[in-house]
Order: sequence, then structure tokens, then C-alpha cells
Amino acid sequence: MKTKFLYIGVGVLVGLALTLGVWKVLARSYTYQGSLINPPVPAADFTLTDQQGQPFRLSDQKGKVVLIFFGFTNCTDICPITMAQFTQIKDHLGDLAKDVRFVFITVDPQRDDVDALHTYVGKFDPSFLGLTGDPANLARVWKDYGVYVNQDATDGQDNYIDEHTARIYAIDAKSNLRLTYLYGTETDVIAQDISHLAREN
Amino acid sequence: MTSQSPTSKNSIRPYLVRLGVVIVISLVFTAVFNEVVFQFQRESYDRAPQVIELVIPAGTSKQVGAGQNEPVIPAEMSFVIGDTLQVKNEDSVSHQLGPIWVPADTTASLVMGQADKLAYSCSFTVSRYLNIDVYPPTTLGTRLAALIVAGPTTAALLFLYSLLMFPIRSKNSVILSTDEGLQAKTG
Repeated sequence: MKTKFLYIGVGVLVGLALTLGVWKVLARSYTYQGSLINPPVPAADFTLTDQQGQPFRLSDQKGKVVLIFFGFTNCTDICPITMAQFTQIKDHLGDLAKDVRFVFITVDPQRDDVDALHTYVGKFDPSFLGLTGDPANLARVWKDYGVYVNQDATDGQDNYIDEHTARIYAIDAKSNLRLTYLYGTETDVIAQDISHLAREN
Repeated sequence: MTSQSPTSKNSIRPYLVRLGVVIVISLVFTAVFNEVVFQFQRESYDRAPQVIELVIPAGTSKQVGAGQNEPVIPAEMSFVIGDTLQVKNEDSVSHQLGPIWVPADTTASLVMGQADKLAYSCSFTVSRYLNIDVYPPTTLGTRLAALIVAGPTTAALLFLYSLLMFPIRSKNSVILSTDEGLQAKTG
């Protein structure tokens, strides 16, 4: 009888070990679908002001995956679509979403003050962060992240619009810049990558 | 429980032997035919996925700004699904090639996931654009799949054709002409 239980126990252990091994191999073989920066580089640090008027420092977010998008609140197409994509990614992540920060950084500090960002970000998800700052500080951040901003364009009704780079940046839990996604990348693709990135932690 | 008489076994056997021979001939024929056609029509992208590296040399942004840069890449590039485009940026500023953004002194890569024809903005060419075509690859696996599809079909047709052209005669039967057959029935 004892021998029988011993065999069952050994069988269960071997089964668990095999399952763990297969899972490890599969986890390692995951291929990121975004533009992968490899080897990862430290993300350029910055301090800006969030929609509550509180300072937000990127390097304080270690332990969290940070998704950053640059846009402006008066944008009528790319920015709201990307913010809506953020909400879908958050839904897709489920419990993992608590380990991910969704950050919107303005390219239009003249119009996007704390109040404007508070209203804008709140429309999508109050847990999202909307960041602004003084133009010189923001310009440094744009440069560090290769963001092109042109404030000379107009919408044909004397309202200026900001032409800007439409890209999502993914920073891992070690504050390394890991992945970028051009505007138009499918939500599921980004969500799968971010899910994997959050599990890496 | 059913059993086959020795006579019925003997009558099926020549057909099975013929079918086996025809299958072998068909597979060899379709394999050779497919391969010859493939060799005549093969394109540069008929290959297994691989890593393709582009290097952006130091000073590229200054040269591009002055409209002087030497082309580091052709104006068009062809990939197959599964290729990895790896861009190494040796310049002092970040560069982009469509979906790939490469900070200074780093390497970024992208796996080509689906077949497409795209015109991407590109920061390290004077034209500022790069055309990228992504094709489904024709690999050994693709050709084997074609063989699996074509082989049995060819075998079936060849088998029927062979029965018409070279009917199987059993030892115990006598092939009658139509008239003789009719006479035998009515008689």
C-alpha cells in the first residue's frame, strides 16, 4: 500500500515538474510583436505634473510597467483612439492591470493644464495619468523619446492643432525602455505583449 | 463474422498493387514537377525566415539634414513572414523606420507578422520613405503541403486512366466483346 502511494506521489511530482518545464520553455519562447529594443536601455527619466497637480517621476514607477503616449486633449482622432485603446488594454490585462501605469503626456502645454488633463483623462479612466509641465521641461522629454511636435498646423478653422508622433512606449518594471508601437497597431497585439511584460516582473 | 474467399482476395489484389504503383509514380511525378516549377519561378523571398540587419552609421542625421546621405538601404525591401528586421542605430540621435523606433546607440527589432505592402516614413533616408513588402514564404514546408494536395489527386486520376488504358484481367475471367457479351447473356 505504501509503495502504491509512493508511486502516485512520484508521478504527481514528475507531472508537475514537466508542466513547469513546458511552461518555462513556452514563456521564454514568447516573441514580442511590437518594436523590441534589445538589449533594453534605461528609459530617460523625467518629472512632470499629473492631473491632480502632483509631481510624477518616471523613476519612481519601478516595479510597474509604464505605457506612455504623447498627445493633446484637443485632438479629435489619434489621441482619443489611443486612449480608448488604453482602456481596452487595461480590460484585457485583468488583474495584471494593477502592475501597469497608463500615462498620457501632453504635446500642447499651452492648452493642456492640470484641469484640462483632469477632465480629459477622467473621460477614459480616472486611474490613467495625464501629465503636463513647463514647455522647456516637456521639450526635453519629447526629445528624449524622439517625439516630433509641430504646432504650426491648423484645422482650417483658425484653431491650431499639434502634429505629433503617434507611438506608444512600453517601459518595463526595471525602468527600461523595451517596446514601442506605432499608431494603428492592433489592441490585442499590444495587450498580449504588455501582459507578458508585466508577468516578467 | 464475415470472411473473404480466396477468389475475391485474388481479384482485389491486382487493383491494390496497381494503386500502390500509381501512388508511388504520382508522388514522384508531382514532387519533380513541383520542384522544377519552383526552381524556375522562385523569388528572392522564397526562403525560410531570417534576421535581416540594417546599420544606421554615425552622423546619418546630419547627412540626411543636408540631403547628402549615402543610401544605407535600398528604397524597397522585401521580407517574408517571420523575418526579423533588426535596426542598429550607431547615430547620436534616435531614428525611426515605420513601426521601429531606435534610440541612439541601441538596436531595435520587429518580427514581420503578416503579409503586407507598406510605405513607411523613414528618418534615415533622404526621401524619408521606405517601401516594405512582406510575403508569405515558400519554404520546404509549403512545397510539401503542395505535394500532399497534388499527389493523391494525381494518383486517383492516373489510376482511373490506367484502368481504362490497361484493364486488369483476372486469371479466371474471359474478356468478352460487347456482342459476345450480349450473346452470352441472351443465350
